[in-house]
Amino acid sequence: MSQSKGLPSSLDVILHEIPGVRMTPKEGRRIRVDSTPDSLPALLELLKGRMGFMHLSAISCVDWPETDEFELVYHVWSHERKSLVSAHVSIARDPGRFVSVYDIHTPAGFYERDIHEMFGVVFVGSPNLRKFILTSWDGPPPMLKSFDTLQYVNDTYAWVDYRPEWLRDIQGKGGGIVS
Amino acid sequence: MNEQVPAVADDAPEACRTPDAEERSLWRRVMDQVADHCRSRSLFVLHYCTGCGAVELPPTITSRFDMERVGVSPMVTPRQADLLLITGYLSVKTLKRVILSYEQMQSPKYVLGFGSCTINGGMYWNSYATVKRLDQYIPVDGFIAGCMPRPEAVQQVFLDLMARIDAGQANAWRDYYLDYNRYLGHQAALFGEDWHTPTDVVAEARHYGHFGPGTTGVHTARLETYTEWAMSKIPELLPERGANEKVRP
Repeated sequence: MSQSKGLPSSLDVILHEIPGVRMTPKEGRRIRVDSTPDSLPALLELLKGRMGFMHLSAISCVDWPETDEFELVYHVWSHERKSLVSAHVSIARDPGRFVSVYDIHTPAGFYERDIHEMFGVVFVGSPNLRKFILTSWDGPPPMLKSFDTLQYVNDTYAWVDYRPEWLRDIQGKGGGIVS
Repeated sequence: MNEQVPAVADDAPEACRTPDAEERSLWRRVMDQVADHCRSRSLFVLHYCTGCGAVELPPTITSRFDMERVGVSPMVTPRQADLLLITGYLSVKTLKRVILSYEQMQSPKYVLGFGSCTINGGMYWNSYATVKRLDQYIPVDGFIAGCMPRPEAVQQVFLDLMARIDAGQANAWRDYYLDYNRYLGHQAALFGEDWHTPTDVVAEARHYGHFGPGTTGVHTARLETYTEWAMSKIPELLPERGANEKVRP
C-alpha cells in the first residue's frame, strides 16, 4: 500500500485549502500538522469528511512556561489509510480558552474534560467540564508546571521513618538486604 | 483474645449490651484461645487490587505456591473476609473505597499493606494523588516491603500473621474503635470535612465494648451534625444540576 509509506498526495492538496496549516511527514505512518487555532476545527472537519480520519485517538496538552502557551495536540487516526495525523495548535495560557471540537468528534468531550481538570483549559462548547477523575480536589490544576507537586505532598501527607528494628528482625532470622 | 478488653470510659453512654461480669473468666479465656487458634487456620482474604501488586497474587494463590496449603483462601466480599490485602498504591479516590470495604468487614479483621507503596508511597512518593501512609487511615497489622514482594514474602507474612493471631497479638482492628477520632481526622483531612461513611463506627464501638477515650472527639462530633448539614445542602445541589444541563448543546 503506497499510503503507508510517506504522505498520501491527496492530503497535501486538501491541506492547502486551509490557511495557516503546515504539514511535516514523520516516520512511518505519522504525519505532523501544525495549525493555527482558528483553522483547527476546519482541519479536523476536512480530515474527517474527505480523508477518512474518523477516529480521534486522543487530545494531549503540554504546558510551555517559557512561551506562556498551552500546546494542544489532536491525534486522529484513519482506519482506511492506517495513518495518524497529529494536529498541533498553540494557545495562550492566559486566558487559556479554546473552542471545543465536540461537534466534530464526540469523544472529544472526555478528553476536553480531562484537560480542563488537569490544565485548566476552558473548552467553549464542551458539554461537561465538571470534575472527572480528581474528586476531593480543590487545588490548582495539578499538571501545570507552576504547580509544585513536592511542596504539596510535603504539606498534605505525613512520612513514616524507616526503622532499622525490622531489618534486625529479618537479619536475626537469616535474611536481610542482598548487597 | 487473651488480652483484657479496655475499660469503658466514665463518660461513655450506656452500652447496648451490658458486659458480662464472667466474660473474661478462665473458661472464656481458654475458649478465646481455641477460637484464635482456629481463626488463624482459616483466613479468608479480600485482595483489594489497587496497584501492580495484584500480579503477585495469582502465583501465590494458584498451584505454584498455593496459599491454601496454609489455610488462606481468597474471598469475594468484604463482609465474609477476615483479611484485607491492599496490594499496591492507593490514590485518594481508591482509599475511600478501601475504608468503605474495611468498615464492612466483621471483626476481628486484619489488614496487610502489600508493597512499599502502602508504607511511604513507594515509587509514587512525590505524587499529589497517592496516599503515603496507609496506617494513618486504617489500622494495619503488617507491611510487606518490596516493589513488588515475591510470593514467598507474601506467604511468609501470612505465616507471621497466623502466628500472631494464634498468640492473640493481632489486635490492630481494635485501634479503629478505640482511636476512631484520630483515624477519622486523618480521613477528613484528605477527603474534606463532609467525609462520612454509612457505618456508625462509634455505635459499633459501644456495642462491642471497644469504646475508649479516643473513640469520640472533635472529628466524630461533626458526624452527629452531618444529617442536618446534608439536608441543608440539597437545595444547593439541585440548581447546579440544572445549570450543567443548559451548557449541553
